[in-house]
Amino acid sequence: MRRILRLMLLAAGGHRREYVRCLQSSLAASLVQAAAYATLIPLLYELTCPDVDAGAAWTWFGVFTACYVLETVLRLHELRFQYSKWADVLAEARLRLGDRLRTMPQRELERRAAGDLTTVVGGNVANATMGISTLGLLFTQLITVPAVLGVVIVAVDPRLGLVLAVSVPFAVFFVRRLQRASGAGVREVDAADAAAADRIVEYVQGLPVLKATGQAGRRSRRLADALTAQGAAMTATQNRTTWPGLLASSVVQLCLVAVVAVGAGLVLDARLTPALLLAVVAGAVRFAEPLATASSMTQVFEITDAALERVGEVLDTEPLPVGDPDARIERFDLSFDDVAFGYGGASVLRGVSFTAPERSLTALVGPSGSGKTTITRLLTRYADPDSGAVRIGGHDLRALDPAEIYRHVSVVFQDVYLFDDTVRANIAMGRPDATDEEIEAAARAANVHEFVARLPDGYDTGVGEIGGALSGGERQRISIARAILKDAPIVLLDEPTAALDTESEVAVQNAIDALVADKTVLVIAHRLTTVAGADQILVLDDGAISERGTHAELLAAGGRYAAMWAAQTRARHWRVPSSAS
Amino acid sequence: MPATVSTKAPDRGADPAVASAPEQDTGPDPGRALRIVAEPVRGRLTAAIALAGAAAVVGVAGFALIALALQELLRPEPDGRTVFWLLGGALAGLLGRFGLRAWSFRVSHLASFALEVELRARLAEQLARIPLGEAQRLGSGRAKKVMHDDVRALHAAVADSVPLIGFTVAQPVAALVVLGLLDWRLLLAVLALVPIVMVGMRLAMRDYAETRRAFDDANEAINAAVVEFVQGMPVVRTFDDGTSSFRRFAARVHDFTRATAAWQDESRGAMIYSRALMAPLPALVIILAVGVWLTAAGSMSPATLVAALLVGTLPIEAVVPLMWLTNHLNESKAGAARIAGVLAMPPLPEPARPERPADGSVRFRGVRFAYVPDARPALDGVDLDIPAGTVCALVGPSGSGKSTVARLIPRFWDVDEGEVLVGGVDVRRIPSDVLLRHVSIVFQDPFLVADTVAANIRLARPEADDAEVEAAARAAQAHDFIVSELPDGYETAVGERGARLSGGQRQRITIARAMLAEAPIVVLDEATAFADPENEAAIQDAVAELTRGRTVVVIAHRLSTVVDADQIVVLDSGRVAERGAHEDLLAADGRYARLWEHHQRARTWGLGSTNDSEDAAVTR
Repeated sequence: MRRILRLMLLAAGGHRREYVRCLQSSLAASLVQAAAYATLIPLLYELTCPDVDAGAAWTWFGVFTACYVLETVLRLHELRFQYSKWADVLAEARLRLGDRLRTMPQRELERRAAGDLTTVVGGNVANATMGISTLGLLFTQLITVPAVLGVVIVAVDPRLGLVLAVSVPFAVFFVRRLQRASGAGVREVDAADAAAADRIVEYVQGLPVLKATGQAGRRSRRLADALTAQGAAMTATQNRTTWPGLLASSVVQLCLVAVVAVGAGLVLDARLTPALLLAVVAGAVRFAEPLATASSMTQVFEITDAALERVGEVLDTEPLPVGDPDARIERFDLSFDDVAFGYGGASVLRGVSFTAPERSLTALVGPSGSGKTTITRLLTRYADPDSGAVRIGGHDLRALDPAEIYRHVSVVFQDVYLFDDTVRANIAMGRPDATDEEIEAAARAANVHEFVARLPDGYDTGVGEIGGALSGGERQRISIARAILKDAPIVLLDEPTAALDTESEVAVQNAIDALVADKTVLVIAHRLTTVAGADQILVLDDGAISERGTHAELLAAGGRYAAMWAAQTRARHWRVPSSAS
Repeated sequence: MPATVSTKAPDRGADPAVASAPEQDTGPDPGRALRIVAEPVRGRLTAAIALAGAAAVVGVAGFALIALALQELLRPEPDGRTVFWLLGGALAGLLGRFGLRAWSFRVSHLASFALEVELRARLAEQLARIPLGEAQRLGSGRAKKVMHDDVRALHAAVADSVPLIGFTVAQPVAALVVLGLLDWRLLLAVLALVPIVMVGMRLAMRDYAETRRAFDDANEAINAAVVEFVQGMPVVRTFDDGTSSFRRFAARVHDFTRATAAWQDESRGAMIYSRALMAPLPALVIILAVGVWLTAAGSMSPATLVAALLVGTLPIEAVVPLMWLTNHLNESKAGAARIAGVLAMPPLPEPARPERPADGSVRFRGVRFAYVPDARPALDGVDLDIPAGTVCALVGPSGSGKSTVARLIPRFWDVDEGEVLVGGVDVRRIPSDVLLRHVSIVFQDPFLVADTVAANIRLARPEADDAEVEAAARAAQAHDFIVSELPDGYETAVGERGARLSGGQRQRITIARAMLAEAPIVVLDEATAFADPENEAAIQDAVAELTRGRTVVVIAHRLSTVVDADQIVVLDSGRVAERGAHEDLLAADGRYARLWEHHQRARTWGLGSTNDSEDAAVTR
């Protein structure tokens, strides 16, 4: 309950005051609603008494009608938040989430799948902001109306009030049982869903093999097993929740029958007037009404609860700590000082130390999984090292504002990411204040101008419109033009030519040559020829630097690097054998 | 009211080779689609409706019996036994109401779960029947969305709404009948509510199509912006001080706010109406007004008034939950339309008189093929002749048609003109399982299932014994790492999509699988591109082993790997530009010669100051 309230206020964000006011309206409306129901008791009493007092009955009717009007006004007021403010609350929450995505450590960001975050920012937050008003209404109504009516009935006749009150602990008990059962069920179904989704992806990817071996469609055992298990998990949940659900929804209404039965006994014994019984029954009927609404809205409750939880989780993520906002990087040498780093218990880097002087070229080589990419990532503060220090220009990265680091570092990734915008905007991202001439100069240097000029709208062609028409090499060159325009003194290259075909490769290579001129460069390369000219080559093996030196020194040492070089020289001369060989 | 917002992210996982894939969202209209896809459980849903209707009727009867008991108690000398029986009947009625209601929900939920399993099986079957190319174009991401998420979205319509339909119809009718039996004047008063309810339902369920579409578009745009923002985050952080990409994101957020405001403006009247009038309180006001008047005048018993208060609000209470579900229902309908769309895709025709390929040869005769009708053809008049047991390399820039040629051999699509012959037989006359056993494909992106290493290799021939699996692994240069580097050898679980293995290891396992398949024709989408240096040599040895004695069609990115091929086919814009052996093509000094020159330069490129290669662009 406290948790939900905290999450609701978190989701309301800057509109917290309005939200609290909405809850207040809701509370007032519920009180008036309960008061309206309570007036049914004297009203019916007046009509049922042997000496009917029509005037008094009409007065109570007037009170009832007044309560209705007042309740409607208050409800509409309560709705204002949901109706007029919702879009603003949602926009504000989304912008806050967007900001949090930018400031959370990249590692945190990657820990969550992109699809998952899309769901949070795209859908969950909408459900959460919509649900907070619904839930607020539900809670206030659920508690206020039975409480007020209960007190009134106890005051009118404690014996009947007691019978009604007995139902409450039972209802609470069964609702708890229901929540526990469906909570366990939801977890089980979630797990089954995830497994089924994985099997579906696997099935679609494997269709050629599965069709070839007659394992497609209903004969795909792996898929069928997962789908059957999923159906079984859902059915099991249904089985577990049927009884608690039935009892939770019926117990209060059955108490109504008990009230009438006990009341009838009292009337027959002449210990209660029939008029009073009738009056109490008229009020007691409404005692259960909000509970009925609540049980039909359990789904809304579940969706909102889950959405609030997930939105809260993102909003609660600690942002990357900002060091001294005034510290400035003035030199561009890089150093790792005894850096250790791991994720989830697995150690990725162990005791890594090296220095890359300003304007030098350092290459990272080694098998996949040896920690090369992690080194470049720590330099962009993907995450902070577990021990040791990463420095740029003598500053520990933790002591710097991340924006200051980003300003001086360009990264060219193996997977190019272009935004769904014009070519110009994609390049200009490197320096938003760049003139058209500067953008074109960067494009020329990256070997991309000629190709862009051929596009239907030149630099104003949307990348999305031609998405599929851009080859990997063209995309990579646009991303390099972006980096050239940025002209950062430190350049990190992560296998930028690995995925390209021959023709693109030469063009991209020329573009990279233009980019790295006069910069401090750290490059990851699989093809050793690419980095044979580096000032220093660091050979990584299982998270530690196993060898270091220039190409000539490492070859002379006859170690790991020399072996890799030999293997690659052999591979370079490999060819698909002809039928004749 | 936009209470629930679709959480579906646009699928960006389209196959780059066929990136021009159109939306598959063309199906029957959503309401009809829902009925079509729910067909398998129709009987059970009818039962659920009937049960819910019965629940409503016995419940109303129970309330009526309470009223009769009160009436009895109001008599000067009430009869205890009558009261006892009436209350017993009321208890039974209310128990029946909840029991039948729960039963109805149970039936509809179980039907919904059965429907999910059945629809997913049907969709899996359908994906296996449509051309493989269409299945690939749909992509595993979108296929997952339809088979999983859209099928799940039916839940609101099938499991949650169906019983409510029974309730919504039966409860008001039963309540009105009881009221009529109690006092026709009360019935008239409550009937005055019917038009109010009808108008309310109409307003609430009204689809503001245009505004809704604008809202949906804005919502889609938000999802796209979020995907972009999250996926592009490494770029956003290092290239953008947050201004431009965040501005784009913020702009989409504000567009959405505007679209929402427009929708809310339009539906404001309906909202105020339903909040003010579609509630128990206003119904009670009317019943009380008539009831107090009649009771005070002595022409009606107060017990009847209590009965009216009990059942008079039921007609309104019955429709409210259904109104809450409106938005979920719309999502169900949209999902049903997509499901029906996939189920309606035309299957790949299987031959009426199947033939078997005679040998391992491959021929293309005047093949013309376009991914989208009327679009620029991906292949335009391609002729190829690949004799059994020879190696044919396909080279050319991206988009030239290499992947298309490779995919037409195992009949991922049917050609628009001309024919593709495998073993001398038109592929359209070969049953697809026979063809796929005849042609093994090794994709650049290795496909592994989350099972053991042995199971992954055996996928190609489920009946293979352990010795055969091991022999295939040895030939694929995979045996050594399997027994020495993996904790449980062949029984090691490879993780989801092979996540626990390195790229090179995954690739060699898929080669072992192809080896085990013993297909006479192997199509290789050059498999070494992503491997690291030490793995590369092993993969190359594995490929050499795989190609021995087979017909090989290889898509080559690195020309040096295919210089020994029997024929090299240079593709350009869907046509064969050149063909011949390496030496001949070099001598011809055409397109291939230029590619070769590029390749030589790329191979020797190096960064840094001490590179001794003449081509190294030393820029410092």
